[in-house]
Amino acid sequence: MSTFTGSGTYVLDEELSKIVNISMALEMPLLLKGEPGTGKTMLAHAVAQSLDMDLVVLNVKSNMKLIEALYQYDTLTRLNDSRFGDSTRDVSDIKEYIRMGKIGQAFMAEKRCVLLIDEIDKAETEFQDDMLDVLDQMEFDILETDEVVRARQRPVIIITSNAKKDLSDPFLGRCNFHHIAFPEQKMMRKILQAHFGDISDKLAENAIEAFYGLRNIEGVEKKPATRELINWIRALQADPDFTSGKMLSQEIPYLGVLFKKSGDYQRASGAMMKKRFFR
Amino acid sequence: MFLQFFYTLREVGIPVSPTSFLVFHRALAEGLVRSVEDFYVTARTVLIKSEKYFDLYDQVFAYIFEGTAIAERSEEELDMLAMSMLDEWLKNPKELAKSLDMDEEQLQKLSPEELLEYFKKRLADQEGRHDGGSKWIGTGGTSPVGHSGYHPGGMRVGGVSGGKTAMKVAGERRYRDYSIEAPLSRAALGEALKRLRNLVPQGAKDQIDVDGSVYQTMKNGGEIEIVFERSVVDRLKVALLIDNGGWSMEPHVEIVQTLFSYAVSQFKDLSTYFFHNTIYDLLWQDPARFRRPVELDDFVQKSDPETRLIIVGDASMAPYELMATDGSIHAFERSGRPSVDRLHFLAKSFPHAVWLNPVSQRTWDYTRTIGVIRSIFPMFELSLDGLEQAVSHLVRK
Repeated sequence: MSTFTGSGTYVLDEELSKIVNISMALEMPLLLKGEPGTGKTMLAHAVAQSLDMDLVVLNVKSNMKLIEALYQYDTLTRLNDSRFGDSTRDVSDIKEYIRMGKIGQAFMAEKRCVLLIDEIDKAETEFQDDMLDVLDQMEFDILETDEVVRARQRPVIIITSNAKKDLSDPFLGRCNFHHIAFPEQKMMRKILQAHFGDISDKLAENAIEAFYGLRNIEGVEKKPATRELINWIRALQADPDFTSGKMLSQEIPYLGVLFKKSGDYQRASGAMMKKRFFR
Repeated sequence: MFLQFFYTLREVGIPVSPTSFLVFHRALAEGLVRSVEDFYVTARTVLIKSEKYFDLYDQVFAYIFEGTAIAERSEEELDMLAMSMLDEWLKNPKELAKSLDMDEEQLQKLSPEELLEYFKKRLADQEGRHDGGSKWIGTGGTSPVGHSGYHPGGMRVGGVSGGKTAMKVAGERRYRDYSIEAPLSRAALGEALKRLRNLVPQGAKDQIDVDGSVYQTMKNGGEIEIVFERSVVDRLKVALLIDNGGWSMEPHVEIVQTLFSYAVSQFKDLSTYFFHNTIYDLLWQDPARFRRPVELDDFVQKSDPETRLIIVGDASMAPYELMATDGSIHAFERSGRPSVDRLHFLAKSFPHAVWLNPVSQRTWDYTRTIGVIRSIFPMFELSLDGLEQAVSHLVRK
């Protein structure tokens, strides 16, 4: 069996790679929780890339019904076809109008693939439980044609959730679970290295230092995450004043890249002001 | 040993299901576990389903699997320990001095800051000399769950971890921030309130209105037009009454305001009122409780009885404020009806009402007025779990 060891731009700690491999071996979905920006979604991409599998992404929406994730019966097109009769489809054949949803696609795939179910917490509890039934049995019915769709291969299933709240017990019972904590400074340095091969030590260290300082400002609603840090460093690299990273100890520019909420932005720049005065 | 591990996990209150334990055994049987680290990671991934319990898991793991001399303590813990020593010192200087084996008078000359410094130094000192083998969690028959308020009971000055890496990892207790004891944060509150959002009438336009479609199609002379309508979703009105006055609520105001700020975006139909301590004749629409008073009778009359009433307050006051006919501190609230009558009146008018109390449930029994108010409104703690219970109570028809 192939195992997962990490990929080009995804820095993986050993623990997480073990967890991915265990879940694959046990053939259980892996539920990932953690702050936004800790790379939950990226993990699925990395797994797919490193194991050379296709990735099917199901972005869960709040009013989504399970059936949409499985298949869709396109009644409207059929109705139109029957009226105008100018399509190549055979109107009398319902199958022509059944389209596979994301889960259906993952089941029908020729090769084993990675199925990422992103932000499951957005959906209703019933959706979550029903979906796991399908994933457990690896098959579902198409009511219209009375066919059973069976998975050709069991996909590698990765589910992410942003919720602080726990999902329902039956759901949790069928998943393996991991919580990705926000990376520590050392880990962050590795992540930056993976993203910017040519970054200077000085800039990386100072930027990380400043970044973690900013994350610790009290009362900030949406803390800047890895994504923000990477964008911020891009901005710094573009600015000749800061490319070397030396100036960062005196002034922190482009706060807007890091803080997206106006309240947070004000709080952060206020804290910066204070720091400058009381140095 | 595995069984003991399993039962200890359950004993300390981690919901580990037997099924997942079987899954774990499958992992063992399939040879996925080859080292202690593997064991640590696999068991956690399979058995523990919430980061809330990661910290407890770490502790149990370290407790069951050996030596349990625990990792170095962080600066913070040292601070906390020193602080509690200072407290102890203020309460009983003699005894502490004795246990530290030094002269009381000498210590008395130091300022609090100097004392703190001194304690810290002593504590750090201790770490060097102290022999290992001290079980850091629950000595003397207590469970490994340390109930650490600000007195980090159960915690000892321990030796340096001599265990294997997994032991060390477990000992680091990286997930303490996520454990249940963590205070309710802004994000967590929003999360809990999200559950209420499902009840806002925002169904998608995804249901075919058959009659409408037939009508439109006929009107178009046979050109088919399909009419969609919104699916009907329960329409929920919410009235939020917040106690924002008095020193007793002072520490909770911040958290209540967070709740409130989230609440506004969650419902279309939300009215907020303020009161002080408990409810008498008036409610106020402005937080300062000055400009826009509303008569309680008016409020009840104008509100739909289906309105969900959420009262937030610590319910802690002098008994007469609740019981006496002139309990209100405001001279103009003199209808002669005691607050307790008013609360009964509210509870009768709104069958769906809850009282959220920021005071920890453990201490409810010590305040008499909490007991009285609890008998009128179902009371829940203003914590994630409490909110969840409150929400499921409110949603019930």
